[in-house]
Amino acid sequence: MKDLKYLLEFENLLEDADNALVRQAQADGRYAIGYTCYHMPEVLLNVDNCFSTRIRAPRSSSIDIATYYMSNYTCEYARSLLERAIEGGYEFLDAIAGVDACSAMNRCYEHIEILKCNSKPHFFVTHTDVPYKIEEYTVDQVETQMRLRLLDVMHEKLGTDTSDAALLAAVEEHNELCDVMTQIGDFRKLDNPPITGYEFHVLCLVSYCCPTPLILPKLKETLEEIKNRRPDEKPFARARVVVAGSEIDDLDFSRLLEESGALIVADRYCYGSFPGRERIELQDGESILRQICRHYMRTSECARYMAQDKITQRRDTIDRLAREYHADGIIFEQMKYCDFWAFERPLASHILEEEYGWPVLSIDRSYNVRGSGQLRTRFQAFVEALEIKRIQKRRAAQEAAGSEVKR
Amino acid sequence: MKNKVKYPDPKFFRFKDQINWKKQAENLKEIGGIVAELLKETDWKDVAGSVKGDVKAFKKRVSHEAGLLKGMSREEILDLIKNGEKQLGKLYRSGKMATVRREWRGVKDTGVDFYEWMRMWGMLLATFSKDLVPAMGGALHYRWMISYFCCHSFMDKNTLGLRGKALKMHHELIYAIFRYVAENLVLLMKGDEKVGNSKELSKKVVLLDEMTMAQIMAGFPDLIGIPYQLMPVFLLSEIDQLACEPYIDAVESYGLPSDTCPVPTSECGACVIDALPHLGACFISSSMPCDGSVMASSYTARRFKDLPTFHLTFPVRYEDESIMNAAVEDIKACIRFIEEQTGARWSWDAYFTAMKRFNEETRYELQKWEVNQTPYPQLIGPCYELFRKWNYEMDGGIDPRILNTFKKVDELMKKAYANREEPWRGKMRHRAIVWSVPAHYYANFSNWLANCWGINVLVEMESLNFTKPLETEDKEEALKDMARLYERMVMRRHTNGGYDHVLTELWRQVEAWKPDLVIMYQHVSCKNMSTLNGLFEDQAREHGVRLIWIEHDLMDPRTVSRKDMRSKVNEYMRTVMREEPLDPSLVDFEDDASW
Repeated sequence: MKDLKYLLEFENLLEDADNALVRQAQADGRYAIGYTCYHMPEVLLNVDNCFSTRIRAPRSSSIDIATYYMSNYTCEYARSLLERAIEGGYEFLDAIAGVDACSAMNRCYEHIEILKCNSKPHFFVTHTDVPYKIEEYTVDQVETQMRLRLLDVMHEKLGTDTSDAALLAAVEEHNELCDVMTQIGDFRKLDNPPITGYEFHVLCLVSYCCPTPLILPKLKETLEEIKNRRPDEKPFARARVVVAGSEIDDLDFSRLLEESGALIVADRYCYGSFPGRERIELQDGESILRQICRHYMRTSECARYMAQDKITQRRDTIDRLAREYHADGIIFEQMKYCDFWAFERPLASHILEEEYGWPVLSIDRSYNVRGSGQLRTRFQAFVEALEIKRIQKRRAAQEAAGSEVKR
Repeated sequence: MKNKVKYPDPKFFRFKDQINWKKQAENLKEIGGIVAELLKETDWKDVAGSVKGDVKAFKKRVSHEAGLLKGMSREEILDLIKNGEKQLGKLYRSGKMATVRREWRGVKDTGVDFYEWMRMWGMLLATFSKDLVPAMGGALHYRWMISYFCCHSFMDKNTLGLRGKALKMHHELIYAIFRYVAENLVLLMKGDEKVGNSKELSKKVVLLDEMTMAQIMAGFPDLIGIPYQLMPVFLLSEIDQLACEPYIDAVESYGLPSDTCPVPTSECGACVIDALPHLGACFISSSMPCDGSVMASSYTARRFKDLPTFHLTFPVRYEDESIMNAAVEDIKACIRFIEEQTGARWSWDAYFTAMKRFNEETRYELQKWEVNQTPYPQLIGPCYELFRKWNYEMDGGIDPRILNTFKKVDELMKKAYANREEPWRGKMRHRAIVWSVPAHYYANFSNWLANCWGINVLVEMESLNFTKPLETEDKEEALKDMARLYERMVMRRHTNGGYDHVLTELWRQVEAWKPDLVIMYQHVSCKNMSTLNGLFEDQAREHGVRLIWIEHDLMDPRTVSRKDMRSKVNEYMRTVMREEPLDPSLVDFEDDASW
């Protein structure tokens, strides 16, 4: 396929947390608010004079100093962020909107504060509480937290307008972005899609890491380009997979997987598009803030939600995506040392395989997978297994049709 | 005359069992097959060699001890008769589960110890006699039940070296702990579908998730709350260091990574190998105390699909009162759930009565702190911690007998304080506090610290929880207090809600207790505590506090053995403190296979 016009530019934007568009927005007088977790509603960080940037630590190598502070048995993602923060990589941020969802990430934020990794006088880190289940009183809890610990602080420290009108404007802009991303993502349902999983990963990440007003026009243009893009006659992929699990912001993961012969047709992981790129549908009769909170709680696929309805929702979502996007199998992945996904992955993998009938590859992985020979071998073996299954299925269907003709 | 309230309600033990004898016979046949296979595969020559070795070792020990006696002066012999032996490491023998014999503590204290040993046996027999058949049957179904046969050994190892009133106090506490254990074991086996299968009892049982305090059950006097995984996993791992290994192996074979905390790991493993009894009207799962615990409930729900489950969850940022309402509403929802599942009704009178007791217990608890903060600490050592955890916090004022134990211990403690007694006579060299999570498989580590190096643990982090008296009149305020209590329960108070609660808190406690050492546990799989390692180091230097870091893996001694834990202290005391041990026989000994 012909290269996408903006692909190289997008890849370059993802080389640094403090990318060109972030700098441009800040030069225009807007404040950059970093965040990491889906429990923090992205749209609330795009209100008025602020913009969200989902923080990453691209090109991380040594994380020795963070390991001294946080030990070697803890989430590599959290440690990589801390290392980058200590190196001064998040000096550009005006705030971090944190949620106390997992202890590793919460400690990472705390270290950034204690070790004074950002010297801007108005810099602040929020610590908001998020619940483990969805009830009306937990929606109250999130709404209260977002008002008191986030919006009010943004207003006080950054002079942000957090009125309903400002929230509404942010939702509209967010929905526009989601529509574009959904349309692009839907191409992956086609038998021979005009976009690869890797390319979609790049587009999805820039949509999280760059200021929406600056990235949206380029994404719209990319959508038009994809509409008219002619896919290769013979697809490169030998199997279609859904990737599900914990955070992936490492493009090398998608690259490695697709080099092994798989096409990623759906991205059900943190920093992917499920969840994250669904429209927020507002209705009358309830405050905008409450509806936003409810939307994020409802669509969240975080393993931290421990109530049975959410556990079932997580499995059903993966199954639904696999069916809708015509996947041959599921790759269930987990960031090493992540407690939530460590427990979720084995159980869900067994259930998806035994009860939902999907072939599943269950893996744990480092934050940066580049050059992982072990992972490449596992991906290749899984793709071969899927191919064999497909051949066996086809033969069985042919034999069944043959015996039907004889009869 | 007032009727004396019996606890637990005797009717729970009298409910009819519905034992499926056919299934018991099938199980017995299976066990018989396993035993026959074991016998067939046994190398009898090896067994004979081992017995011979034991006899030889016994003779050698007896002649060695006789030799020592012969070599002693009259004063030394008198001291031995009066004050007991001083070489405690000689009680251990490599590769053996039990010690070679019980400790000689001097005439008087050995008498006390023997009396308590008998009293414990009496209590255990009396308790199990309340419904013996299911309890015995349970031992044929669950291998973890067998570990409880070593409870006397557990008693011994937790009281090693103690003399005088300290010994009496520890025995009082450990008696209460094992009464709690025995009663729960009998009820678990009675209600379990595989064994006693008492439907009537099962309807009255509310199962509580790991470490969830029982206060919420105080308003349901007609029901009984049983901490579900406590007996098969949690408390068991403190009694038998090897008990959780099969659980951990099972769930890791299932796919769980090996870096997760052994508590939820073992609980999930217990589900995988079907080691949890199946009973109860409902299950109160909880998000406490940490991330791993949150996730274990999905395994339990998967194993027991017919067990209605409520997820009791509290805000993590617990100092933030703006979200108190969510916690209160969750408690109300939990109460409604229990009512719906059991048909029982919440009683404020019963709740307030129990909480008045709990407040009284808290007052006694604070007195212990007060005494231990002085230069003459009295109630120190492992039994204090175990009692606090199981009988004070977990029971939550429901069992009236616990208040009596508090009273007895308080009297003994005050007398001992007035006499300026030393719990470990002549071994009070250092004052220490313990921070972070202690190793379950080395529950008596503080006992070793005192006997070997004279390091006296005044208090452990896990003790320093919520101490505000709970509201006993205003209902709404009472619910808020209950929420505050749960939010600040053991482990949760320190690990949740921000670093201030555990990092800065340590420096506050150092100020209050004036230790010269901090035993800094590093539970290698505890993500929450590990993420503060560097800051503890940095700030300890700033505060001039000595930390002795001791790695462990909570319930899995294969990662870091007891011996490895001891060697950390040995190295520190010799190289940094430049000291020699009080009891050199305890510096290096083998106990990898012991209970």
